[in-house]
Amino acid sequence: MTATATRASPAPEENASGPVTGPAKNRIRETLLSRGAMFAYIFILPYVVFFTIFRIVPALYGIVLSFGEYSLAGQLRLSGLENYVRLFQDDVFWNSLRVTAIYAVLAIPLSIVVSLLMAQLCNRTLRGMSIYRSLFFLPVVTSPVLSGIIFVWIFSGAGPISAGLEVFGIELGSWLQSRLLVLPALALVAAWSSFGYNMLILLAGMLAIPSDYYEAAGLDGANAWERFRYVTLPLLKPSLFFVLVLETVKSFQAFDIIYVMTGGGPAHDSYTLTYMIYDQGFGYSEFGYASAVGVVLLVITLILSLIQRRLIGGRES
Amino acid sequence: MITNSMGTKRPSDAPHAPGGAHPAAMIVRRKQPASVRVRKNLIHIPLIIMGLVTLFPFLAMLSISLRPGEAVSVPDIFINPNVSLAAYVEALSNSRIPRWALNTTIYAVVSVVMVLLFASMAGYAFAKKKFLGREVIFWVFIAMLMIPYQLTIIPQYLIVGQMGGLNTMWGLIVPTIANAQAMFLMRQFIQDIPDELIDAAKIDGAGEFRVYWSIILPQTKPILATLGTFVFLWHWNDFLWPLVSQQSPDNYLLTVGLNSLQSETVSLATLMASAVVTFIPALLVFIFLQRYFVRGVMMSGIK
Repeated sequence: MTATATRASPAPEENASGPVTGPAKNRIRETLLSRGAMFAYIFILPYVVFFTIFRIVPALYGIVLSFGEYSLAGQLRLSGLENYVRLFQDDVFWNSLRVTAIYAVLAIPLSIVVSLLMAQLCNRTLRGMSIYRSLFFLPVVTSPVLSGIIFVWIFSGAGPISAGLEVFGIELGSWLQSRLLVLPALALVAAWSSFGYNMLILLAGMLAIPSDYYEAAGLDGANAWERFRYVTLPLLKPSLFFVLVLETVKSFQAFDIIYVMTGGGPAHDSYTLTYMIYDQGFGYSEFGYASAVGVVLLVITLILSLIQRRLIGGRES
Repeated sequence: MITNSMGTKRPSDAPHAPGGAHPAAMIVRRKQPASVRVRKNLIHIPLIIMGLVTLFPFLAMLSISLRPGEAVSVPDIFINPNVSLAAYVEALSNSRIPRWALNTTIYAVVSVVMVLLFASMAGYAFAKKKFLGREVIFWVFIAMLMIPYQLTIIPQYLIVGQMGGLNTMWGLIVPTIANAQAMFLMRQFIQDIPDELIDAAKIDGAGEFRVYWSIILPQTKPILATLGTFVFLWHWNDFLWPLVSQQSPDNYLLTVGLNSLQSETVSLATLMASAVVTFIPALLVFIFLQRYFVRGVMMSGIK
């Protein structure tokens, strides 16, 4: 406010030209027309243009598409709720909803528990700690395609997991061909890829906890588990919430490793909602139908984030 | 730092610190008794196990790539002494890998420059300028983060298609450069730059553009480095958009190309050798710019 006030002398007649306008209107015009504001518009312009064309318009267009059909000639024909009616009668859709839910239930807790455990282990001064931390971060910078390709071999019948289990007389064969094990395998890969990142976020949260709290707990005779349970966990809630939201979004939008490792198989058992969008859209050119799945995904994401926010907010008050 | 050992008073502590509060106790406590030292070092065991779990896929990839023509069974791929670089020769003689690497480099580097430029410009305006609609525009941007990328990818494909940008480099780059997270972070960071710095430059006669270029940008170097590293790796590893927008194999990026090798009839060793080759640039970026990463992640967690 002071910035514009000090430079409020562009032209004296400009103030005099509008004697009817109130002070509020004057202020608006001043903010709108001051040189700083003009400059600001110029500076956000490239960003706004690109963001509008490639984010806002596609998002709205996607919602419109879900109520219509897109012909290969490039014509959009609105068809009302047809796509949704078809979707809710489609077994493939209900299956992919189930697959997405199971995958999320497996992947989210697995990743959070591993990250929390590793953050606790790394939250100390120890020789070589920085090497460990770098090591754990390596999968984060690895492309999902690359990790997918390696893990295809790791989970294959000839891979180390099968070989290791055979020693104990357990024969599971290839995990990715197994209707039961394909989602756990994908969740393990997701946890392997992301725990280094989540661990760092949790570690930052842990380092922000004042050491007095631990000293006080120690004086009260709390053991390591009690210190973790009653000091670390409650104070880590904001970081944990952040990681939870991150992992939820990620698991509902997982695509790359599924595409590389399973292609939705076997028998649609890893055919998640996002895979369905891709498959219907780019496999069958059913852009309208695929967009309807996208809108369902959007609604689910919104509901989940509302629930999570309510849950955390409710506990804090 | 030594708080762990404070609660537990071992018998071996007693002769060193009879009074407890004696100043000498402070010095003596530095020398931890052997039992505490051993216990402290035990923590290495789970860390090493987890380190091996983390590293195993990479070691397997490397091992398989060095043993072409061997049956890939488990203990064998790590101990078989017949090591050769034949798979790498074969991978690199695939004329497309260098081409894919070039495409990926252009995609990543151009995107980094554009993202940083646009995000810092917009971030500066949102942080330091007053203009009509500032809050509304800003929150519309942030709200768009809630929209799943998968919902927008089909319309994005249709829009870029109508512009004639499918199967071209500019069509690949252009949709990715208005990055909401980057702009948000830039705004957060620029907000902390003191206004006095900007005012002083203005008093010295610096124009608006000059302030941005020689005051704001140098001040934001740390965040630019952090963001740049992230954006580079996002693009280096990007998959879905390059997959749908680039149909001709000559225009593939490394990720899409590597995936396409999976379905071709290359041996597992050659596939893994190609994977190693594509991983090296990302690995180098990570090794040399690691601290920016760590800072970026920790910042995102606290804010």
